[in-house]
Amino acid sequence: MEVNEERQPQEQAPEGAAEAAPPAAEVPATPPERPASAAAERPARQPAGQATTGERPPRSASAVPGRVPEPAAAVAVAEPRPESVGVRLENLRLTPVEIDQPKALYRSVLPGILQVPADFIIAAARKSSLWPMTFGLACCAIEMIATYMSHHDLDRFGIVPWPSPRQCDVMIVAGTVTKKMAPAVKLLYQQMPNPKWVISMGACATNGGPYTRYDRVLQGVDKIIPVDVYVPGCPPRPEALIDGFIALQNKIMEERSRVG
Amino acid sequence: MSPEERRPPAQPAIAAPPEGSVADLFKAALPDVEMTAVQGALDVLLLVDGKDAHKVLETAKHNPSLAFDFLRNLSGVDYEAEGFEVVYHLYSYKHRHNVTVRAKLPREDPRIQSATDIWRAADWHERECRDMFGIVFEGHPNLVPILLPEDMLDHYPLRKDNPLAPLEEWQGEALGPEMGRAGHIPPGSGFDVEPSAEGE
Amino acid sequence: MAIDPETQVEREFETQDLFVNIGPQHPATHGVFRMVIEVDGEVVRDVVPHIGYMHRGGEKLSEHMDYRQAIGYQDRTEYLSQFNAELCYVLAVEKLAGLAPPERAEYIRIILTELNRVSSHFMFLGAFGTDLGVFGTSFTYAFREREHILDLFEEVSGDRLMYAYFRPGGVAWDVPRDFKERVEWVCKQALIGADDMDKLLTDNEIFIARTRNIGKLSIEDAIDYGVTGPMLRASGMKFDLRRDEPYSIYDRFDFDIPVGTNGDCYDRYLVRLAEIRESIRIVRQAVAQMPDEGPILPERMPRMLRPAAGEVYMRCEDPRGEYGLYIVSKGATQPYRCRIRSPSFCNLSALKHMTVGHFVADAVTILGATDIVLCSVDR
Repeated sequence: MEVNEERQPQEQAPEGAAEAAPPAAEVPATPPERPASAAAERPARQPAGQATTGERPPRSASAVPGRVPEPAAAVAVAEPRPESVGVRLENLRLTPVEIDQPKALYRSVLPGILQVPADFIIAAARKSSLWPMTFGLACCAIEMIATYMSHHDLDRFGIVPWPSPRQCDVMIVAGTVTKKMAPAVKLLYQQMPNPKWVISMGACATNGGPYTRYDRVLQGVDKIIPVDVYVPGCPPRPEALIDGFIALQNKIMEERSRVG
Repeated sequence: MSPEERRPPAQPAIAAPPEGSVADLFKAALPDVEMTAVQGALDVLLLVDGKDAHKVLETAKHNPSLAFDFLRNLSGVDYEAEGFEVVYHLYSYKHRHNVTVRAKLPREDPRIQSATDIWRAADWHERECRDMFGIVFEGHPNLVPILLPEDMLDHYPLRKDNPLAPLEEWQGEALGPEMGRAGHIPPGSGFDVEPSAEGE
Repeated sequence: MAIDPETQVEREFETQDLFVNIGPQHPATHGVFRMVIEVDGEVVRDVVPHIGYMHRGGEKLSEHMDYRQAIGYQDRTEYLSQFNAELCYVLAVEKLAGLAPPERAEYIRIILTELNRVSSHFMFLGAFGTDLGVFGTSFTYAFREREHILDLFEEVSGDRLMYAYFRPGGVAWDVPRDFKERVEWVCKQALIGADDMDKLLTDNEIFIARTRNIGKLSIEDAIDYGVTGPMLRASGMKFDLRRDEPYSIYDRFDFDIPVGTNGDCYDRYLVRLAEIRESIRIVRQAVAQMPDEGPILPERMPRMLRPAAGEVYMRCEDPRGEYGLYIVSKGATQPYRCRIRSPSFCNLSALKHMTVGHFVADAVTILGATDIVLCSVDR
């Protein structure tokens, strides 16, 4: 699993909107057609970190597989409905977070040869005392709580659930993230201090889960925050969550020299 | 009882309720309101028009022989061509009987008078119904969105012409220049969403 | 000097109401719920609950699934009392389709449903204690008991939490051979656990001081707001759907209905604690009456369920209240409309009525005593 290095919300260049405008006009306007300038802000997330919009095909109806725009009999509805503002806001709200790379002070202070044991000790300390934020959203929260409790103890790994985001290392997104909740998730992620990790627990947080086809559900929390470990299941067993934590611990040790 | 005796008989499409049921009490209380009484699987159904619904409900609550003090459920249903329906399920703790009132609304402008002045339980139910279907409840004290975000009320999810969202790989890729549609796929675009477990 | 308009008391200085936002992420583990409280000092003047952060469209998606696939959505709507939701759903579909489950299946369903009620009430006890500050102890006790019950459910259905085990017409497969012994053992452990929670909380001075006379709800107000379940019974109304509108085979069992007197949070706690014991009584009677062998699905089970056109509103007694399912069928393999009447949604609408006039700390207590399940509120 890699930490994605750059992930910034991409601005849709005006020429992208102009390219997309002619196909948009062909699509029948039922309900009323939106002005093409509505595509002003496009959070196209590309893992390779490409900045230009020329890499992706123009955002027309034909970009979605199976969708063929046909000039069907247009129903005459002229003016855009006033609530279309809300959907523009939706796209603004659901842009991914900006990731700022953590920079540890000791790396600039210690000479190179001493960084290796320092990295090891610091990474070992971090992984042995991960404090997750209690961010249970839905049904997976029950299994998360069950993992904290005495039957499948998480405290033996040093994992203590902590309600305040300012003092946490890990955010376990347990449950479905809806589009109404997404800005709060982003805010909480931004409130966590570095170094921080995210475990996406359950099918809903991974890709929307059983609710993925509903249009008010965010299809996976990794659309807005970077995720380090995905724990599948609906809900995942407590043993699976423990496995996810161990995988996260291994990841922390593995990338200790690359990440500040 | 053996399973055979306990099996409910297959109901014919329209069956009149038996004598002495709640429907007769309603008819006695409101002789001039047009209502059709049907025996449903568990309760008696009363089909009324949307304009008479409030009167019927008020009588249901205040009439001593009916005394429906508990609004169990208020749902909207979208019968595509025939319009909308708002369905009220009522129960009386005093007389221990129940009834279902189905109020029919036209498709183009679904408006109905709110039942919040009769039962306070109707408050949240009506807000949700309006979020899901767009049915406007007149006289509601606070008809703001309850389940949907306030600024995203541009299409009503539970209407039948609102299909399921396509699976999108990258955030917002399905939006594109038709960003305003946000999950709504206009009919005639050739993108047919068949219900399937796996997706396209 | 200012004169307070409400109490006409002269005050030293002007004050202004403060808006406190609780949620959508807060340590009380009720999920994503947000309340905006307007406080005057410490006294709550207004509460505006904001829900919908977990609105995932279970109703809409059920319309695109056939009758058996939609059982999974019922589980996930009521994620603490899954078998109750599934039971309501399969009973509704059975009424529409004209199916009758065999005896053994009925008993299995009742046993599992009542044990689920027990585990849900344990979760309430744990979470309620945590809300009041018993951080850790009550939760740990509660989950210890829940683990026993969840182990049994896993042996029967294969999953710890989302079972999807009930089917219209019966259950999906038969129970293991040692089911009766295991159930008896679980009942014994549950009673010990209930006694433990009792000893921990019931006579605790601080607990009583924080829950007595808090969040009172009279019977008339409760009925008007559509409040059902233990909250209504705590207010004094002796009404339980299992006895007053019996469904499935509940008319064969003998159980009491615990009722409170005051309608405050302490009574709600006591009612739920007593309901655990009543549920264990029902389970023991069911185990004694259950036939040892028998089919678990009707012989003539259609491959694809196509109920006749019609509608039904089936209601069941969920641990939180009346869980209702309004299913409209048009003769297709998918329900035309599957409306969930969620008990937590209706109980929560009375929150403002219960909280205004109390202190801020009591707001959390009242919310905890309402015992909401957010996925059910938002569906």
